[in-house]
Amino acid sequence: MKSTSENFIRRLQKQKEDALEFIIDTYLPLIKGITNKVLSPLGNEGLVDECVNDVFLSIWDNADKFRGDSTDFKKWICAIAKYKSIDYYRRATKRMEVSSENMDMNAEMSVEEELIRAEDKTELITLINQLEPLDRDIFLMKFFLGYKTADISRKTGLSITAIDNRLFRGKKKLFKEAKNLGAGGYVL
Amino acid sequence: MKEKDIYQLLNDLDFDESEVEDIEISEFDKAKVKKEVKMALRKKRKRHGWKMKVVAAVVIGGLSVSALGIAFPAYAGNVPVIGDIFRFLDNGRTGIYDNYQEYSSTVNMTKESNGVTITINDAIYDGKTVLLTYSIESEKDLGDQPFIGSYLDIKNTSGGSGSDQISKVGKNQYVGLITGSRLDEKDLDTVKVKWRVDSISIGGTEEKIKGTWNFSLSLQASDNEVQLVDQGTEQNGVTVNVDKITVTPMSFIVYYDQLVSKEVLDKWHGVDVEIDIQDDLGNHYAGDGNGGFGQENHIHWSKTFKKLDPDATKLIITPTVRLVEYTPENHGGVEITADGETKAISIPTKEGKGTEEFQMDDIVVELVK
Repeated sequence: MKSTSENFIRRLQKQKEDALEFIIDTYLPLIKGITNKVLSPLGNEGLVDECVNDVFLSIWDNADKFRGDSTDFKKWICAIAKYKSIDYYRRATKRMEVSSENMDMNAEMSVEEELIRAEDKTELITLINQLEPLDRDIFLMKFFLGYKTADISRKTGLSITAIDNRLFRGKKKLFKEAKNLGAGGYVL
Repeated sequence: MKEKDIYQLLNDLDFDESEVEDIEISEFDKAKVKKEVKMALRKKRKRHGWKMKVVAAVVIGGLSVSALGIAFPAYAGNVPVIGDIFRFLDNGRTGIYDNYQEYSSTVNMTKESNGVTITINDAIYDGKTVLLTYSIESEKDLGDQPFIGSYLDIKNTSGGSGSDQISKVGKNQYVGLITGSRLDEKDLDTVKVKWRVDSISIGGTEEKIKGTWNFSLSLQASDNEVQLVDQGTEQNGVTVNVDKITVTPMSFIVYYDQLVSKEVLDKWHGVDVEIDIQDDLGNHYAGDGNGGFGQENHIHWSKTFKKLDPDATKLIITPTVRLVEYTPENHGGVEITADGETKAISIPTKEGKGTEEFQMDDIVVELVK
């Protein structure tokens, strides 16, 4: 049996490899577009390829967590691609910063940066889980998907001030929670 | 509410990436991504499949093993994957163990004690010798050459001999191969083996890590075919007789006897016979001695050689006799008296001096197919 646009999600969740091939055939241009947009300023094509592969592997590994139809699926894998690209971007620039000897400029990291940069992101995920749904989305977009506040405003229909307020309150909440987890950092 | 992970959170997010433009991708690039992603999957799967195999092995082994009260607390550690420890440790590239991996069974029994984890990776029993490959992971450095002061204990055998070698493969990580050979001539299809380690000496120091790493397993002999030979050659008072040859899928074992006349024994302290093997196709076989037993004038030896060329029809066995004079340098022996003084045990003087060596006539064995 072959995967089609009707059955590929189910086949993917059953870990059938032809579904993976179908997804690569269908969505590679899109995934590569997202990844390339984030990572191309680094001028490292190998990194783009590595990230693209990582995106497809993550889709495969986490397929069972996906809920929804093929439109939702497209949104979901776009989000994963964006999230992975930002992650790759941050890790790559972090390496570059270290080599450029501008270390003390970054000495004071904000709480969310401190957390995001922590090797294990699970704690931040735990914290984000405690926010209310709208704040959760705003935080994901801002810190995991690297959106500018203006973009978030356009997507959510909230004003920039409202988003900043929510981010500020959320950060304060995160900071309080983070202190319990023993993470360092400052609220800016 | 159950906590959501990042993938679930992203699933909830109404994300629209409409402003991103598709990049044009050639069929070639698509194929490349498919290939790379699938390869990454294979790697993961392989690990998975291998775990399944371990579970299966444990279930099969379970009956005999659990009866001995053995637990399997964890599977395989993180020692870098060395596909074939047998080959890896064959630094001199004799090739003796080249085919052992494929015929060995995966064991993956792990024991942890005092910050040191020992895992038995593979085990094989060729009807004569038990070989176990193992890996060690330690919290502290064990030096370049740790020493495990322990041997393989094979049940229901009158005596044994063995060897152990170990090699560092990473920071605080080692792999090793320990062997134990039965010295009796019984053909046992199954053996019970115990490996009790109670200390590991750190290489280059006097320091020891004490602990308890006890393993116990029962092993089936690999398929083997025994060919009785009973052919010999005699020269200068030494007779060498090849009793039998056991052929396994990965090796063959030659059992031979040395008979030494009284004249030679009166003249020399020690007589050793080594054998060298070639086949009619010109292949030379590297081998590893398994030790021997017997009396001074009649010793039974056995030696394991690498995989037999299936096209060979004859084996040409060339015995070499070494006559040795024991001197305080090459032959130890001290007596410790009750008041703690040591005195060397004197070696009786014999006529033969130094060492002498001679090659005997070939013993040509027709292989039965």
